[in-house]
Amino acid sequence: MLEQFMAGFGMALRLDTFLLMSAGLFGGMLVGALPGFTTLMAMAILLPISFFLDPLVGIPFLLGVYKGGIFGGSIPAILVSMPGTGAAVATSRDGYKLTQQGKSRKALDMALFSSVFGDLSSDIFTIIMIFPIAFLVMQFGPPELFAVLLLSLVIIAATSGENPVKSLIMMLLGLWLSFIGTDPLGGVERFTFGIFDLKSGIPLLPMLIGVFAIPEIAGVVMRSDGIRHLSSLVGERLSFKEFRASFKTICRSTVIGTGIGIIPGLGQVVAAMMGYSAAKNASDHPETFGEGELEGIAAAEAANNAVNGPTMVPLLTLGIPGDNVTAILLGAFVAQGLRPGPQLFEEQGATVFAILIAMVFANVLFLAIGYLSIPFFSRLVQIKTSVLIPIVIMFAFAGTFVFRSDNFDLLMLVVFGIFGLVAQAGRFDVMPMVMGFILGPPMEYAFGQTVAMGNGATMAFLFEERVGAICVLIAAPIAGIALWRRMRTVSTS
Amino acid sequence: MIKSSLKKLAVAAGFAAALLPSAALAEYPEKPITMVIPFGAGGSHDLNARVITSIIPTYLEQAMIVRLTPGAGGQKGTQEVANAAADGYTLLFTHNYVDMLQQYVENLPYDPLEDFIPIARVNYAPIGVVVRADSPYQTFEELVAAAEKDPGGIRMSHSGNWGALFVPAAQIMKERGISLNLVPYKGGGPAMQALLSGDADVTMGFPSTLGSQIESGTVRVLATAGAERMFDDVPTFAEVGVEGDVGFMHRVLVAPKGTPDEVVAKLTTAFEALVEDKTFVRMMGRLNETIDLVDGPGYQKMREDQAVAYKELVDALTK
Repeated sequence: MLEQFMAGFGMALRLDTFLLMSAGLFGGMLVGALPGFTTLMAMAILLPISFFLDPLVGIPFLLGVYKGGIFGGSIPAILVSMPGTGAAVATSRDGYKLTQQGKSRKALDMALFSSVFGDLSSDIFTIIMIFPIAFLVMQFGPPELFAVLLLSLVIIAATSGENPVKSLIMMLLGLWLSFIGTDPLGGVERFTFGIFDLKSGIPLLPMLIGVFAIPEIAGVVMRSDGIRHLSSLVGERLSFKEFRASFKTICRSTVIGTGIGIIPGLGQVVAAMMGYSAAKNASDHPETFGEGELEGIAAAEAANNAVNGPTMVPLLTLGIPGDNVTAILLGAFVAQGLRPGPQLFEEQGATVFAILIAMVFANVLFLAIGYLSIPFFSRLVQIKTSVLIPIVIMFAFAGTFVFRSDNFDLLMLVVFGIFGLVAQAGRFDVMPMVMGFILGPPMEYAFGQTVAMGNGATMAFLFEERVGAICVLIAAPIAGIALWRRMRTVSTS
Repeated sequence: MIKSSLKKLAVAAGFAAALLPSAALAEYPEKPITMVIPFGAGGSHDLNARVITSIIPTYLEQAMIVRLTPGAGGQKGTQEVANAAADGYTLLFTHNYVDMLQQYVENLPYDPLEDFIPIARVNYAPIGVVVRADSPYQTFEELVAAAEKDPGGIRMSHSGNWGALFVPAAQIMKERGISLNLVPYKGGGPAMQALLSGDADVTMGFPSTLGSQIESGTVRVLATAGAERMFDDVPTFAEVGVEGDVGFMHRVLVAPKGTPDEVVAKLTTAFEALVEDKTFVRMMGRLNETIDLVDGPGYQKMREDQAVAYKELVDALTK
């Protein structure tokens, strides 16, 4: 084992590996920064290129695209309040406030440092603990997934916004919106009113851009104070002192993110929100979260990147891709004659370790690439608003359209943009709605699976086989009430 | 002056008239072709399509661009192509369950047999019924016997209702008169994981996903689709009494009906050349995918048979 590890270490130290990985990281960052283009698309398009490269060049190249893409998504989230994926929602909230305060560079730096730290720690943890994690992954089935998703929603509702009742209303609205379309299990149409476009449900991207970006764009346009820039300053770089102040939060989020990565089917959105909620709850000034708190960015970014290490485990140890990103990686592995699965470690242990070690190097490289490109990105906010705002509007619409070239999505963008403005005027926080919308479908699916597994006797089945899930289900409301109370006492004191 | 210009114009028009028809035919494709996939990124169709579209430009002298249009279980992308112009520039890369079965379980905004013609079936994958290595069921017959004794008591994980694992399972249940508890998962990967973790007692898989599990001895194959044995000691569906085109996933390229014959011929020729291409064969082999081209008319017959068989199956199950 150690021998293979050392052999792998040597194999990963190659100039061409580093060069292509850098290219992947930079390309991924650019693609991730464009709303509508997902890292997943970029990886699928670039996959055939990896077929013609050496395994130790091609796979790190794809990993680079993936890692770069996740960070790339936080750039428009911070600078123009335009999160392209659910994972960047928590970042956009404090990030854009910091941009308005003239601290966009600090915000981007914090996002970069905490991303790299979260990712690096979870990768190292994964390499060391790969077999225990493989065992743990197997302990989670649909009942556990449902319970954890429910707990997550309760925590989000209890900790976001100043008024938990308003948060709860918005979350229920989000859940209801997620019901529109074809029911994922039975194939029955719900709330579609016979409109074909609604049959596949409301698309996420127009909702994200609509409720988060449009109100901010409108805010800038309607501002009458004569300021011609989003912010006249990009501000200083992040100081070591500021990083250290958030270090505890980063560590906490890394642990949360890694834990969530182990549970199949949860993913980055839940990780970012749980990291954010936990940081807010632990803080002695929770009221600054959402108002431009560097710690908020740190909490969300460290957590959503820490998911990445453990999600590779089922792929490497069982040969089973848990999501689409790992499915593409599986294609890349198989095309190279490496068939991930229980035997891969015995037969090609050194190569697998080389790839895992390349993941670690990718983080270090990315720190450098990101650090050098942030000054360039952060200068975006100094572009005159008369030029920048039309560009941002163009990207909002083009990004929405490019996702699947559907006019209906543009209509949805406008509808959610108006909704976002109304919600802002009524001081309703849109975040719980978006989270309900994103987490509703997987929760419903897991619920349906649980019912199917019970085959008509769900409760009996749960008590016989799934005591863990029952415990979490009972804990969820208790945790919700406790958090709500704590939030109230901290904010009023 | 005017006269001479008119003359020139007439000559030019004459030339154009003489050139146009043949030029238009010879020039397809004169712009990139869009291949719509009605599923999400990273699935097996996506991977197959990436290989096809990275090599076929050699034979079409035009790019073929993949456009993923997931939604409503494949209906979104399918409808888009059904509504597209039948000029050969918008094609659909789909599979038999979306193509032929869905029409009997949902109200579709198109009619697959009326609105599409097949261009090329690129390959197919036969499915296998698998259990964990430590499962009490040593053979397919033992599994059936256990299911007869305890209807609905055996859990089978599959990749989604009316999908590639659900349909063969339903057909087995119908042919053998048994009842399994079918639990849906989001794709074949999670379904396999459910088997390995013990959440499911039995599942199904394609060779491309089963390979590493069989090699490492974590699963046992009880039966494989078709009439030809895939493994020497494992019976086929035909041998265990499940006959017909059951358990095959056909990956097929279709075009809107009314696509000109010349265009179809051009595409057919390109696919015939593609499947002989060494790089294509090597890349598909690496993905553990077969190559078995069937041309449009050949696959149309199979489609019509599928339609009859699927209708019977759906009627039997939903009655």
